[in-house]
Amino acid sequence: MTKQIPRSVIPALCLALALPISTNAAEPTLPDWSGVWAMEGGTVFDQATKTGEGGTTTPGVREHPPYNAEYEARYQRNLALRDQGILPDPNSLCGIPTGFPRIFNLPDVYEFAVTPKQVWVIAENGPNVMRIYTDGRDHPPPEDRWPTHTGDSVGHWEGETLVFTTVSLHSSESGRTLVDRTGLILSEAAHATTRMRINAQGQMEVEMTIEDPLALTAPWVVVKRFNRLEPGTRAYDYACNENNRNPIDEETGWTYTIGPDGRIMDKLEGQ
Amino acid sequence: MRHEKFLTVLAAGAMVLWAGLGTAHHSDAMFDRDTTLELSGTVKEFQFTNPHTWLQVMVPNEQGEEVEWSLEWGSPNQLGRQGIRPSTFPAGSKVVVRTNPMRDGTPGGAFIGAMLADGKTVGRWD
Repeated sequence: MTKQIPRSVIPALCLALALPISTNAAEPTLPDWSGVWAMEGGTVFDQATKTGEGGTTTPGVREHPPYNAEYEARYQRNLALRDQGILPDPNSLCGIPTGFPRIFNLPDVYEFAVTPKQVWVIAENGPNVMRIYTDGRDHPPPEDRWPTHTGDSVGHWEGETLVFTTVSLHSSESGRTLVDRTGLILSEAAHATTRMRINAQGQMEVEMTIEDPLALTAPWVVVKRFNRLEPGTRAYDYACNENNRNPIDEETGWTYTIGPDGRIMDKLEGQ
Repeated sequence: MRHEKFLTVLAAGAMVLWAGLGTAHHSDAMFDRDTTLELSGTVKEFQFTNPHTWLQVMVPNEQGEEVEWSLEWGSPNQLGRQGIRPSTFPAGSKVVVRTNPMRDGTPGGAFIGAMLADGKTVGRWD
């Protein structure tokens, strides 16, 4: 038995078969962020305001966020500990996420996974993952969120630029996070607007505008850039606790070294 | 105690030789970056592990006793992308290594570079 299709629906049927189906005409064209990327420069977070020669652990090196007097004093205390080699870095503990914004300030390599409704920043170091929702949702209301290492990030696409805001971050005061190993810190009031895009040089450019009414007197703009590595480059597991022979003394902040017999090697006075 | 007879202090101000743990997951305050030692010994093990690789080398002291040195290098991920493999330092192979030693004189340090018996060099060997 056959059924005849009513003549009146034939034109619509033809159109439906001939044309691609689009559920959302405004859906953006997503950029190609595939591949493996590595950060340009060292792990001094704000290279633009850095003074002194060397890296994060070199005495004399510091950055100049627009800190208020209280946070400038706190930063200087951390710098003094850094100079003595006893600034405890939560990253060294293994198992504690790096958090935002430091997730954009890591050695090793990165992958930036773009999907229609989420973007994932995957840092090999740690490992660390940051989720950015682009499905139109908003941040949860304040009563439904709590501080986490990477916070809550929601965003949208402006052409091929991802724009997102991040809230609900752990305070550096809790000891759970630092912005870098010079001892940069932020408060629990920190939040940020970030713009990610591939710039004219083919680099992933991440511009973070950080606001923190408890720590900063003005928005703090930091730009990090990442270079795409050779095609075919692989990222690997980073099992930080696999063989961590450098535990931290929680009282002194000193980083110990474990010898081949499983015992602490260090014999420095006072350690 | 450091046995100078068997260890050659190569240079003071060895910052240029710091091959480092610049991307280390921890402070490098335990290493004397102003001193570079050169050690001759035998590879016991190359721990190709995260967060850092460790080259374990048996080095004779002045009494002729074998002392195990622990030399810390980069992550296997970083090094693997640069062509270093777990097989780079076969157990039992003779090796000369350069290191920024532990400040306290214990037998360990930050790996800088090495020369194997066939003359092949690994890491920084300027």
